[in-house]
Amino acid sequence: MKSELTRRGILQGLAAAGMVAPGMAAAQAAGSLNFIGWSAAVDQVKAHISAFERDTGVRVNYENFPWAQFRTALVTRLVGNAPIDVSWVSDAWLPEFAEAGWLADIEDMPGLKRYNAEAASYCTQSMVYKGKQYGLAYYGDHMSFMYNTDVLQKAGIAAPPTTWDEVVEQCLKIKRAGLMEFPLLLSLGADTWLIEFASALAFSFGGSFVDDKGDSVMGAPGGGVVAAARFLHDCIHKHKILSPGAVETVELNGLRAFGSGAHAFTIEPTYRIRSLNDPAQATAHGKIRPAMMPKGGANGTHDTCGWIRFYAMTPAAKADRARRERAVKFIEYFGGRDTRGKYSLQEMLLLDVGLPSCALPLTEDQEVKTFWERWAGGGDIIARQSMSARKKDVISPWFGEWVETSNQAWQSVCLGRATPEAAMAALGNKWNELKRAFR
Amino acid sequence: MPGRFSYDNRSAAILVFPVLAVLLVVAAFPILYSFWVSLHDIVLTRPLRRPFVGLENYGRMLADPRFHTAVLRTTLYTVVTVSVTTVLAIGVALLLNENFRGNKLLNALLLLPWATPSIVNGLMWKWIYDPTYGLLNAVLVQLGLLESYRAWLGDPDLTLLLISNAAIWKQMPLAALLLIVTMKAIPEDLYRAAKVDGANVVQRFIHVTLPALRPGLMLVLVYETMISIRHFDLFLIMTQGGPGDASYTLSWLIYVETFRSLRFGTGAALSYLLAMLTFLLSWLFIRFLGERRG
Repeated sequence: MKSELTRRGILQGLAAAGMVAPGMAAAQAAGSLNFIGWSAAVDQVKAHISAFERDTGVRVNYENFPWAQFRTALVTRLVGNAPIDVSWVSDAWLPEFAEAGWLADIEDMPGLKRYNAEAASYCTQSMVYKGKQYGLAYYGDHMSFMYNTDVLQKAGIAAPPTTWDEVVEQCLKIKRAGLMEFPLLLSLGADTWLIEFASALAFSFGGSFVDDKGDSVMGAPGGGVVAAARFLHDCIHKHKILSPGAVETVELNGLRAFGSGAHAFTIEPTYRIRSLNDPAQATAHGKIRPAMMPKGGANGTHDTCGWIRFYAMTPAAKADRARRERAVKFIEYFGGRDTRGKYSLQEMLLLDVGLPSCALPLTEDQEVKTFWERWAGGGDIIARQSMSARKKDVISPWFGEWVETSNQAWQSVCLGRATPEAAMAALGNKWNELKRAFR
Repeated sequence: MPGRFSYDNRSAAILVFPVLAVLLVVAAFPILYSFWVSLHDIVLTRPLRRPFVGLENYGRMLADPRFHTAVLRTTLYTVVTVSVTTVLAIGVALLLNENFRGNKLLNALLLLPWATPSIVNGLMWKWIYDPTYGLLNAVLVQLGLLESYRAWLGDPDLTLLLISNAAIWKQMPLAALLLIVTMKAIPEDLYRAAKVDGANVVQRFIHVTLPALRPGLMLVLVYETMISIRHFDLFLIMTQGGPGDASYTLSWLIYVETFRSLRFGTGAALSYLLAMLTFLLSWLFIRFLGERRG
């Protein structure tokens, strides 16, 4: 009797463990989906997951990691064949992930592809690799040039600059007025944002890192990339309008410093304008406004760097009919319209945390218009700037390796340890070496 | 017929076996497996190919300019950190070895930096060095020693020394404690005899204290060298290898190669090179400072 009870106890224990353990396979059979993202807008995502579960009956297992560790965390899970159905992916990782066979394309999913008709074209292009589209957008943003209206007013400057030469002139005027030592703030610390800042600057100088064939042109003497590097060097060492400490300023610290009102001009992701104008988060609230990216040099443009993050499905999820159906539902609900036909998450992300959306219909939404009016003094500049946002041209299967060298090269120029020409030529050589090595 | 092993030996083997098995799984296997990994060209983002390349990863890294930079930076950082830590630790140990009022309180306070978690230590010093609101700038400007705020960690000539300073602040207390323990074991008679012979304070330190400190010094040097040469957390928190390549040490290179470039093969090869360097230095210290018998 005793032994029978014990055996039964063990069996009952095993059964209970099977029911409550996070065994993915069992959970999937009950209609669940595994979604992995980084720790951003967690409350909004959780709220939308609850709505999704209510509307579809599909249970979502949601995991998130800090952005700084996310790529490594995701890669190790993908290599280990973790049962992920849908993940957030950065446009910068698309080529290497697609080449590794970790992402499934959505070419045969017209229910998802129909949203391209309502999306900004650079967003869609950022999700395409070798002619195939790999998901729907989570959000799309671009680098914006921002200025502090209060500082300009105190310095007697009537309008924000339209060229980088004017930026220098106005900075010197602000300095001469004794308002601040370093009117220009650029976050050039070696974090994941540095390439976006560098790209925005290079594009505004009419430059490209690579040509149409993907070959390096970043080191071309007289090219836009070298000119942008020269501009940074001069701002620090010649004009002294940009602090040498820029090389240790990462994006988040730059945001805080600009929000303190200690600088006149900066480049920041557009979604930061909400927090910069929020009285609870910034001393300079209400005074930060966007302007078109200044043009640099004779070939300058108002172009800036745009990027997107998107929802992508894993090949394992696509291969299984039930998992694929759930994943498609999820991606549509989160990256497209929900079951009520609304871009509800995109709207919530914008209104709550300031994340701009790729969905064009939202620009006509009254609440969205009110949002931009409140936090940016109107949405016209942002809309115009987004039209001239360009995808990073260095996105490639070897981007992850190359960007380390890139960060060092830009910092070396800022430190005066290398000439812009030499640093960018070396960077171009590294690009060619990695491209050749990729077989 | 008596067995080859006695009952005691067999019992001992049975009792030791579980620990041995655990050690094999958690220590020996990873060491051997990482060596196996270092012989392959493993890039995580290219999971379909992982060719065996023999010692090619080692050759590639040894020829890589980044490796040379990292060795140079690591050497400078280690030499500065270990030497300053040791000298300061000797001074603090000499002070705390004396009997005076408040000695016990100072001994307790000495432990504070050592007990501070590395992450907290790194963040604390990063804030102290901050170019906008750092304490160092504020103090120096108010004392009139500095005209305006400086970007301390943004200066490539100073970065490594400033990180080293943060490491010394944390590591010196343990070194001092180890030396105090050794000093307590020095017989008082030796000092009395030296005094009788007319030796002054400096002479007593050179001819009595220092030779007797040899075991403690060896321990401190080996330990501090092993810690410094592999230091990573301060570099991650304070500079991320920058600015430029100013704090690009071996451990940082291993991190970049393994977890950013996701090249596990070369990352493992670099780890082995670092391990060999650490063993070599430790062996040299033991060889030249170890107790000589006979």
